[in-house]
Amino acid sequence: MLDHLTLMSLDALLIAIFFSFLWKRDRHERGRYFWKVLAALVLGAVALGWVMYPFPRG
Amino acid sequence: MPEGGGPRETRLGQRLPLPVLMLLAWLVPGLGHLLLGRRLRAAVFCGVIVVAFAVGLTLDGELMLPHAGDPLSYLAAIASIGNGVLFFVARYFDVGQGVVTAPGYEYGNTFLLTAGMMNLLLILDTHDIAVGKKDW
Repeated sequence: MLDHLTLMSLDALLIAIFFSFLWKRDRHERGRYFWKVLAALVLGAVALGWVMYPFPRG
Repeated sequence: MPEGGGPRETRLGQRLPLPVLMLLAWLVPGLGHLLLGRRLRAAVFCGVIVVAFAVGLTLDGELMLPHAGDPLSYLAAIASIGNGVLFFVARYFDVGQGVVTAPGYEYGNTFLLTAGMMNLLLILDTHDIAVGKKDW
Protein backbone atom coordinates (compact mmCIF):
# COMPACT_ATOMS: atom_id res chain seq x y z
CA MET A 1 0.00 0.00 0.00
CA LEU A 2 2.88 2.36 0.68
CA ASP A 3 4.57 1.72 -2.63
CA HIS A 4 5.22 5.13 -4.16
CA LEU A 5 4.30 4.17 -7.71
CA THR A 6 1.04 2.56 -6.57
CA LEU A 7 0.00 5.57 -4.53
CA MET A 8 0.94 7.97 -7.29
CA SER A 9 -0.99 5.90 -9.80
CA LEU A 10 -4.02 5.77 -7.50
CA ASP A 11 -3.98 9.55 -7.13
CA ALA A 12 -3.59 9.93 -10.89
CA LEU A 13 -6.47 7.50 -11.45
CA LEU A 14 -8.82 9.47 -9.17
CA ILE A 15 -7.83 12.77 -10.76
CA ALA A 16 -8.26 11.37 -14.27
CA ILE A 17 -11.74 10.05 -13.45
CA PHE A 18 -12.67 13.36 -11.86
CA PHE A 19 -11.58 15.56 -14.73
CA SER A 20 -12.94 13.33 -17.44
CA PHE A 21 -16.39 13.59 -15.85
CA LEU A 22 -15.98 17.29 -15.10
CA TRP A 23 -14.89 18.41 -18.53
CA LYS A 24 -16.16 15.88 -21.04
CA ARG A 25 -19.75 15.22 -21.89
CA ASP A 26 -20.13 11.97 -23.72
CA ARG A 27 -18.82 8.56 -22.91
CA HIS A 28 -16.40 8.27 -25.82
CA GLU A 29 -14.83 11.67 -25.14
CA ARG A 30 -14.57 10.86 -21.45
CA GLY A 31 -12.79 7.58 -22.15
CA ARG A 32 -10.20 9.19 -24.38
CA TYR A 33 -9.66 12.09 -22.01
CA PHE A 34 -9.35 9.74 -19.04
CA TRP A 35 -6.49 7.79 -20.64
CA LYS A 36 -4.80 10.99 -21.78
CA VAL A 37 -4.82 12.53 -18.29
CA LEU A 38 -3.83 9.26 -16.61
CA ALA A 39 -0.90 8.77 -18.99
CA ALA A 40 0.20 12.39 -18.66
CA LEU A 41 0.20 12.21 -14.86
CA VAL A 42 1.87 8.81 -14.45
CA LEU A 43 4.37 9.03 -17.29
CA GLY A 44 5.03 12.71 -16.54
CA ALA A 45 5.82 11.94 -12.92
CA VAL A 46 8.12 9.06 -13.86
CA ALA A 47 9.86 11.24 -16.44
CA LEU A 48 10.24 14.06 -13.94
CA GLY A 49 11.70 11.58 -11.46
CA TRP A 50 14.33 10.55 -14.00
CA VAL A 51 15.12 14.18 -14.83
CA MET A 52 15.66 14.88 -11.11
CA TYR A 53 17.76 11.77 -10.63
CA PRO A 54 21.14 13.52 -11.19
CA PHE A 55 20.28 16.10 -8.52
CA PRO A 56 20.51 14.51 -5.08
CA ARG A 57 18.84 16.10 -2.08
CA GLY A 58 20.81 18.14 0.39
CA MET B 1 -25.03 8.81 -22.94
CA PRO B 2 -24.56 12.46 -22.04
CA GLU B 3 -26.34 13.93 -19.08
CA GLY B 4 -28.40 16.76 -20.44
CA GLY B 5 -30.22 19.78 -19.09
CA GLY B 6 -33.79 20.22 -20.23
CA PRO B 7 -36.42 19.05 -17.79
CA ARG B 8 -33.81 18.39 -15.15
CA GLU B 9 -33.27 22.14 -14.85
CA THR B 10 -36.56 22.28 -12.97
CA ARG B 11 -35.17 20.13 -10.18
CA LEU B 12 -34.78 21.30 -6.60
CA GLY B 13 -31.35 22.74 -7.29
CA GLN B 14 -32.81 25.31 -9.69
CA ARG B 15 -35.29 26.50 -7.09
CA LEU B 16 -32.70 27.01 -4.38
CA PRO B 17 -30.91 30.35 -4.09
CA LEU B 18 -27.53 30.08 -5.78
CA PRO B 19 -25.46 30.71 -2.60
CA VAL B 20 -27.39 27.95 -0.79
CA LEU B 21 -26.83 25.56 -3.68
CA MET B 22 -23.11 26.34 -3.68
CA LEU B 23 -22.95 25.94 0.08
CA LEU B 24 -24.58 22.50 -0.19
CA ALA B 25 -22.21 21.61 -3.04
CA TRP B 26 -19.28 22.43 -0.77
CA LEU B 27 -20.66 20.64 2.29
CA VAL B 28 -21.39 17.30 0.63
CA PRO B 29 -19.29 16.27 -2.40
CA GLY B 30 -21.59 15.74 -5.37
CA LEU B 31 -24.72 17.14 -3.71
CA GLY B 32 -24.78 20.23 -5.94
CA HIS B 33 -24.81 18.05 -9.04
CA LEU B 34 -27.40 15.73 -7.52
CA LEU B 35 -29.74 18.63 -6.78
CA LEU B 36 -29.34 19.79 -10.37
CA GLY B 37 -30.27 16.34 -11.66
CA ARG B 38 -26.79 15.24 -12.70
CA ARG B 39 -27.03 11.94 -10.86
CA LEU B 40 -24.30 10.02 -12.61
CA ARG B 41 -21.73 12.76 -12.21
CA ALA B 42 -22.84 13.37 -8.62
CA ALA B 43 -22.19 9.72 -7.78
CA VAL B 44 -18.82 9.67 -9.54
CA PHE B 45 -17.64 12.91 -7.94
CA CYS B 46 -18.80 11.83 -4.51
CA GLY B 47 -17.07 8.47 -4.89
CA VAL B 48 -13.80 9.94 -6.11
CA ILE B 49 -13.62 12.56 -3.37
CA VAL B 50 -14.61 10.21 -0.55
CA VAL B 51 -12.08 7.60 -1.71
CA ALA B 52 -9.30 10.21 -1.98
CA PHE B 53 -10.19 11.56 1.46
CA ALA B 54 -10.30 8.10 3.06
CA VAL B 55 -6.97 7.10 1.50
CA GLY B 56 -5.46 10.35 2.77
CA LEU B 57 -6.60 9.64 6.31
CA THR B 58 -5.47 6.01 6.09
CA LEU B 59 -1.99 7.20 5.12
CA ASP B 60 -1.83 9.41 8.25
CA GLY B 61 -2.21 12.61 6.28
CA GLU B 62 -2.99 15.88 7.99
CA LEU B 63 -6.05 18.06 7.60
CA MET B 64 -4.15 21.31 7.58
CA LEU B 65 -5.13 24.36 9.57
CA PRO B 66 -3.61 27.82 9.17
CA HIS B 67 -0.42 28.49 11.14
CA ALA B 68 0.67 32.03 11.86
CA GLY B 69 3.81 32.95 9.92
CA ASP B 70 3.35 30.18 7.37
CA PRO B 71 1.55 31.64 4.34
CA LEU B 72 1.39 28.31 2.52
CA SER B 73 -0.53 26.80 5.42
CA TYR B 74 -3.40 29.16 4.59
CA LEU B 75 -3.63 27.75 1.09
CA ALA B 76 -3.42 24.21 2.45
CA ALA B 77 -6.15 25.04 4.97
CA ILE B 78 -8.43 26.28 2.19
CA ALA B 79 -7.91 23.02 0.32
CA SER B 80 -8.47 20.96 3.50
CA ILE B 81 -11.65 22.81 4.45
CA GLY B 82 -12.72 22.39 0.83
CA ASN B 83 -13.58 18.82 1.79
CA GLY B 84 -16.73 20.17 3.42
CA VAL B 85 -18.50 17.94 5.89
CA LEU B 86 -15.78 15.29 5.56
CA PHE B 87 -13.33 17.76 7.08
CA PHE B 88 -15.58 18.59 10.02
CA VAL B 89 -16.50 14.97 10.73
CA ALA B 90 -12.84 13.95 10.66
CA ARG B 91 -11.89 16.80 12.99
CA TYR B 92 -14.79 15.94 15.30
CA PHE B 93 -13.58 12.35 15.60
CA ASP B 94 -10.02 13.56 16.04
CA VAL B 95 -8.66 11.94 12.91
CA GLY B 96 -6.57 13.70 10.30
CA GLN B 97 -4.15 15.14 12.82
CA GLY B 98 -1.31 13.83 10.69
CA VAL B 99 1.63 11.74 11.78
CA VAL B 100 4.71 13.54 10.46
CA THR B 101 6.92 10.50 11.02
CA ALA B 102 4.55 8.12 9.20
CA PRO B 103 5.88 6.88 5.84
CA GLY B 104 2.65 7.85 4.12
CA TYR B 105 2.34 11.33 5.64
CA GLU B 106 3.23 13.32 2.51
CA TYR B 107 1.16 11.08 0.28
CA GLY B 108 -1.72 11.31 2.74
CA ASN B 109 -1.54 15.10 2.60
CA THR B 110 -1.55 14.95 -1.18
CA PHE B 111 -4.71 12.85 -1.23
CA LEU B 112 -6.47 15.06 1.33
CA LEU B 113 -5.55 18.28 -0.47
CA THR B 114 -6.45 16.81 -3.84
CA ALA B 115 -9.87 15.76 -2.52
CA GLY B 116 -10.50 19.25 -1.12
CA MET B 117 -9.49 21.02 -4.32
CA MET B 118 -11.63 18.72 -6.43
CA ASN B 119 -14.60 19.54 -4.22
CA LEU B 120 -13.89 23.27 -4.57
CA LEU B 121 -13.94 22.83 -8.36
CA LEU B 122 -17.32 21.13 -8.03
CA ILE B 123 -18.71 24.25 -6.39
CA LEU B 124 -17.71 26.25 -9.46
CA ASP B 125 -19.13 23.62 -11.77
CA THR B 126 -22.40 23.63 -9.82
CA HIS B 127 -22.50 27.40 -10.21
CA ASP B 128 -21.93 27.18 -13.96
CA ILE B 129 -24.70 24.61 -14.38
CA ALA B 130 -27.11 26.56 -12.20
CA VAL B 131 -26.64 29.83 -14.08
CA GLY B 132 -26.79 28.11 -17.46
CA LYS B 133 -23.16 28.56 -18.51
CA LYS B 134 -22.91 24.80 -18.78
CA ASP B 135 -25.91 23.00 -20.19
CA TRP B 136 -24.98 19.46 -19.26
